Amino acid sequence: MTTVQTIIKNVSGLHARPASDFVGKAKTFQSAITIRSLDHPSETAVNAKSIIRLLSLGIVQGTRVEISADGSDEQEAANALVFLIDSGFGEE
Amino acid sequence: MRVFKGNPVSPGIAVGTVYQYKAFVCNVYETYVQPGDEQTTLSAYVEGVRAVNTELIAIIDDLSKRDPDKAKIFEAHREILADDEMDEEIRHAILQQRQTADYAVDRIYTENAVLLSQVSDVNIAARAADIRDVRNRLLRVLHGQKEHNLSMLPAPCVVVAHDLLPSDTATIDRKNVLAIITEVGGATSHSAILARAFGIPAILGVSDATQALPNGKDVIVDALDGQVFAQPDDETVARCRKKQAAYLLDQKNAQQYLTLPAITKDDIAVEVGLNIGSEVDWPEDGSYTFVGLFRTEFLYMERDRLPSEEEQVDAYRQVLERAAGRPVTLRTLDVGGDKTLPSLPLPAEENPFLGCRALRLCLKHRDLFLTQLRAALRASVYGPLQIMFPMVGSLEDLRAGKAALEEAKSQLAANGVSFDPHIPVGIMVEIPSIAILADEVAKECDFASVGTNDLCQYLFAADRMNPLTAEYYQTFSPAMFRVLFAIFGAFQRAGKSVSVCGEMAGNPKAAPILLGLGLRKFSMNASAIPTVKRVLRNVTLAEAEALTHAVLAASTESIVLDLIHPTA
Repeated sequence: MTTVQTIIKNVSGLHARPASDFVGKAKTFQSAITIRSLDHPSETAVNAKSIIRLLSLGIVQGTRVEISADGSDEQEAANALVFLIDSGFGEE
Repeated sequence: MRVFKGNPVSPGIAVGTVYQYKAFVCNVYETYVQPGDEQTTLSAYVEGVRAVNTELIAIIDDLSKRDPDKAKIFEAHREILADDEMDEEIRHAILQQRQTADYAVDRIYTENAVLLSQVSDVNIAARAADIRDVRNRLLRVLHGQKEHNLSMLPAPCVVVAHDLLPSDTATIDRKNVLAIITEVGGATSHSAILARAFGIPAILGVSDATQALPNGKDVIVDALDGQVFAQPDDETVARCRKKQAAYLLDQKNAQQYLTLPAITKDDIAVEVGLNIGSEVDWPEDGSYTFVGLFRTEFLYMERDRLPSEEEQVDAYRQVLERAAGRPVTLRTLDVGGDKTLPSLPLPAEENPFLGCRALRLCLKHRDLFLTQLRAALRASVYGPLQIMFPMVGSLEDLRAGKAALEEAKSQLAANGVSFDPHIPVGIMVEIPSIAILADEVAKECDFASVGTNDLCQYLFAADRMNPLTAEYYQTFSPAMFRVLFAIFGAFQRAGKSVSVCGEMAGNPKAAPILLGLGLRKFSMNASAIPTVKRVLRNVTLAEAEALTHAVLAASTESIVLDLIHPTA
C-alpha cells in the first residue's frame, strides 16, 4: 500500500468540477484508493472512486488530506492524484 | 363528447390531443428474493443502470446545444449513477442479503442522499436532490415505466395533470404545449401565472380531468369561456376553430397597440412596464418604459444549487443591458408559500402562505440574502436598478431589509467594489398591515409596488390556490379598490412612486378603474401589454373616474362586475 499526504490548494476545494476530475482520475486505476481528511481525524477514509463519499467529506481549501492506494498500480495512482491536487485543478 | 367546466386563467382556445402528465410516484417495499435468484436480480439491476445511462445520454445530447447549463445537471446524474461506492453497496445487498433490486436501490440511494444532505456546505447538501432524482429514474426503469416529462414533449399537445408544480413548469417545453388543464389551482397560482407569461391557454380546477381525459384522445380547451370538450364532435370542433380564429384576429388587432404610447383619449400619459422572470421574450422597443417586476426566484429554481454571487451579477447585468436604460425593479428572493427551492430544503409549515417566506426567509438565511444584495449592488453600475423587498408587513421589516442592504454595501466598499450608493429601495405592498400603514412606510422607502394577488389573498383570508375558496377570493371587490385607493394616495402624497405589478395591472377590465384611482404606472407580462394599452387609449380620464366613483361606492363584487362589463 502507498500512502501520501498533501494540502488542497484550489479555492473551491474538492467540490463541483474538481471533485469530478478527482474521481474520474481515480477511476482510471486498478488499485483500491481511499482519501481522508487529516483535519477531521474522526472521519474515516472514503472510497476515492465515489463522488458522493468524496463530497460528503466537504473538503475545502487548506485541508490536509491523505490518499492511500492498494493494488498493482498503487504508486502511479498516488502520484497522479497528488499531482492533480497540487496542480490546483486548473484554477487560479 | 363530454363537457367540463373549469376556471379559465389564461385566455385562448386550443384544439389538440391529450398528454397526461404524472410525476413518477413509486412504492418500494422491503422484499427479498429466493436463494438462487441473486444473479438474475443482479442482472436486472445492471440492465437498469445501463438503460438509465442511455436515457441520460439522450437527454444530454438533446440539451447540449439549446441549454448547456441544464445538460451539466444530467452529466452530474451520470456521475452519480456510476458511483463506485453505491454500486458496490447495491451489489452487496443483492448478492449477500438477497434484497430485490428496487429495494436495494431505494435504500442505498436514500441513505447516501441523507448522508450528503447533512454536509454543512449548502451547495453540497443540495446535491442530495440529484441523488434522489437518479434514484427515481432508476426505480422507474426497474418498474418498467416510461418517462413522463414536460421538458421534452414529442409533439404539440394539451397537457393534463392533477397539478403542476413550479419545478414541472420551470422546464416546460412551451412550444409544444397547446394548452394546460389541471384539477387544482386558482387564477393566481404559479401554474396560472406561468401560463399567462407564456401565452398558453389554461383552465384550472377541472375536477376529474385526469380521469375524463385519457392520453392521446382529442380535446378542446376553450379558455375564453372555461369549457373543456372531451372527444368533441365535428360540429363542436368546427365551432371552436371559428371562435379560435376570431380570438386570434382580435389579439392580432390588439397587437397594433403594442408599441403605441399608453395615453388616454384626453392625453393623460400612463407608464406601462414589464414583468419578467429569467426567461422572457422581450417585447419590441416602445412597448414598455420600465421593468416593474424582475422576479429573481426563477434563477434559483432552475438550478440544483444556489446561484453564486458572480452568476447573479451576470444575470442582473444581462437584464439591465437588455432593458437599455429603462429602470429595472429587482425583487429580492420570494420563495416559500407555493414556491419551494430544490437547492434550499425548507421545513414544512402548517400555513406556508402565513409562514416564513420571502423577506422573512431571507432575513433568516442571511448569507443567501447578502449574496443576492451584493450581486444586485454590483450590477447597479450597469444601469438604473432598484431593489424591492417582498412580504413587508411592518416598518421593522423594511428597516431590517435596509440594514442588510447597508451591510452588503459596506462589505463591497471594504473590498473597493463599485456600486450605486443611492440605489432606490422599495417594498411590495401585499400584506394588509402595511397597506394600512402606507403613509408611514412611504416616509422610509423610495417607492412601492402593489402585489394584488397576495394582497387579495390576505385581505379576504382566501387561499388563492384552493378551488373551494375561489368564490371568496374577490379581486373585483370594492374592498380591494378602497385599499388600493388608500395606498396610491398615501404614496403620491409622500411624493413617492407607486405602481401595480400584480395580475390586476394586466387585466384590461381593471385598467380603467386603476386609472381612475390615480394609478399611472402599470406593470405586467408582455402578453398583456397590447390589450391594456387598447383599453387605456380608448377611455378618457373623466370616464375612468366616473366608473371609479361608482366602484368605490359599491357594496359587493357583483355590483362592480356589472359596472365594468360595458367597458370590458
